[in-house]
Amino acid sequence: MAAEVLRQTVTLRWRGTVTWAVGLAALVLLYGALWPSIRDQPSLTDLLDAMPEVLRSLLATTDLSTPVGYVQAEVLGLTGPLLVVLYAIVSGSASIAGEEGRHRLGLLLAAPVGRARVVLEQSGAVVLGSLVVAASLTLALLTSSVLFGLDLAVGHVVAAGLHLGLLGAVFGVLAVGVGAATGSRVLARAVPAVLAVLAYLLNGLAPLVGWLEPLRPLSPFWQSLGHQPLLTGVSVRGVVVCVAAVAVLAATAVPAFGRRDVMA
Amino acid sequence: MGTPSAPDVVVNTTGLTKRFGSTVALSDVDLEVRRGEVFGWLGPNGAGKTTTLRLLMGFARPTAGAIRVHGRDPWRQPAAVHREVGWLPGDPAFHDRLTGRAHVRMAARLRRSPDDDKTADAVTERLGLDLDRPVGTLSRGNRQKLAVVLALLGGPQLLVLDEPTSGFDPLVQQEFQALVREHAAAGGTVLLSSHVLGEVQRTADRIGVLRAGRLVAVEEMSVLRGRSLHRVQARFDAPVRAADFAGVPGLRDVQVTASTLRCAAPAAALDALVGRLARHRLTDLECTEADLEETFLAYYGGEPGGR
Repeated sequence: MAAEVLRQTVTLRWRGTVTWAVGLAALVLLYGALWPSIRDQPSLTDLLDAMPEVLRSLLATTDLSTPVGYVQAEVLGLTGPLLVVLYAIVSGSASIAGEEGRHRLGLLLAAPVGRARVVLEQSGAVVLGSLVVAASLTLALLTSSVLFGLDLAVGHVVAAGLHLGLLGAVFGVLAVGVGAATGSRVLARAVPAVLAVLAYLLNGLAPLVGWLEPLRPLSPFWQSLGHQPLLTGVSVRGVVVCVAAVAVLAATAVPAFGRRDVMA
Repeated sequence: MGTPSAPDVVVNTTGLTKRFGSTVALSDVDLEVRRGEVFGWLGPNGAGKTTTLRLLMGFARPTAGAIRVHGRDPWRQPAAVHREVGWLPGDPAFHDRLTGRAHVRMAARLRRSPDDDKTADAVTERLGLDLDRPVGTLSRGNRQKLAVVLALLGGPQLLVLDEPTSGFDPLVQQEFQALVREHAAAGGTVLLSSHVLGEVQRTADRIGVLRAGRLVAVEEMSVLRGRSLHRVQARFDAPVRAADFAGVPGLRDVQVTASTLRCAAPAAALDALVGRLARHRLTDLECTEADLEETFLAYYGGEPGGR
């Protein structure tokens, strides 16, 4: 059956993905529910003003008094991307490295399925999972928007969700690839996690640190969220860059896995 | 010397060598396993048995030499090789929350043979396994049974079984041995590894003995049985000397103490031995056949008990 590895991987991960999706949605709804009380507290914007510039730059927000500024600071500035990326890395590291560590990789590799298919379809499953988790966040934001009067533009929220999903996909597929190349679950988590932190800091600090500015496009965070999707919608370039990154990472993982002895 | 493409050669290795860093796991192994035979792959733990099977499955790449399964290189064409191979890992692991049946379905779909639940049910019934329980609740023996079911899915020509009977009770072991024999009788091939001869002596047609990565013997089981040793103990009414029994071909472990002789003799040496014994006045004579394991160890060494 076509894409059988992907289908099985998605089925096996379903429980975990749903747990993440529900948790993330609940968190977003909680932030949404706080909005009506925050809105009437101008002192919070003063608080933001009193924050170090570095922090404001990292959260990419200046204004807690508007719904967009609030959601940017509370959801898209750190929490949302952090959790989607974390989910994707956990899921990606569980793919080849995780199964190999549990001596279960043979369930797939002893079947008449080439290694390339295993890498590509497991990557596909991680991308799907990341998009599902991001979609759940999107739905929660839209729900909050209606319930708590955030009045966000539907198209822009969907755009933000898409970018978050793709952002997760980049680091998730990187985790699959590091696991495929090394067989180590620790590396499959640590390498993408460290790179994600660096990329986040690069994006957030570039406005303050002159020499970082030219490097900023290298950060998937900038490609995904730098254009403020809640204000401007989809960035075609951001989508293309992230999709291309996912494709290149998956394509690199195939020969890396093909060259190596595996403990099936 | 058969050619690698001979139709009845299923597994063929030439100069097969595998090193992990500076450790030599397998060294220069030449082997042929044929259609319709059960081949026992024997050796103490760490001798390289599992390494051989990993190379055969294409999970690892030979450092030197070649291995072919049905004429194909498993490293380059794993999917094509696996279509004809059922594999049972030495330490089978599963998704603990899923049932045995879920595993069977998943494996069958990967093999693109969704009707296989019948095969699975037949094998399951013979081995006595409940497919509808989560694997996490199964005993070690029952997990091993599930591994057997998965290996047999889709009717592969070659079964590659790494220590398949560890964890089975004797009755299940018999049923499993019957399955193996039936597979071979139907033209299938079975390669099964073990660290003890006893596990394979009823099923194997031939055995290969591996020690420290080297193939030290390939033997027909019938030949090995013919060489089976007899333990001989003789008591005389007067002291004897070891030299009195020197020169009997095949005699092993000769121990002479005062007026008794203890030794091990293959069946072929018994006549000559009795001739020598008759030169003295016997007061007692015992002759018992040693089990095959003892014979095997006497010829090929290895650590008794293995583990």
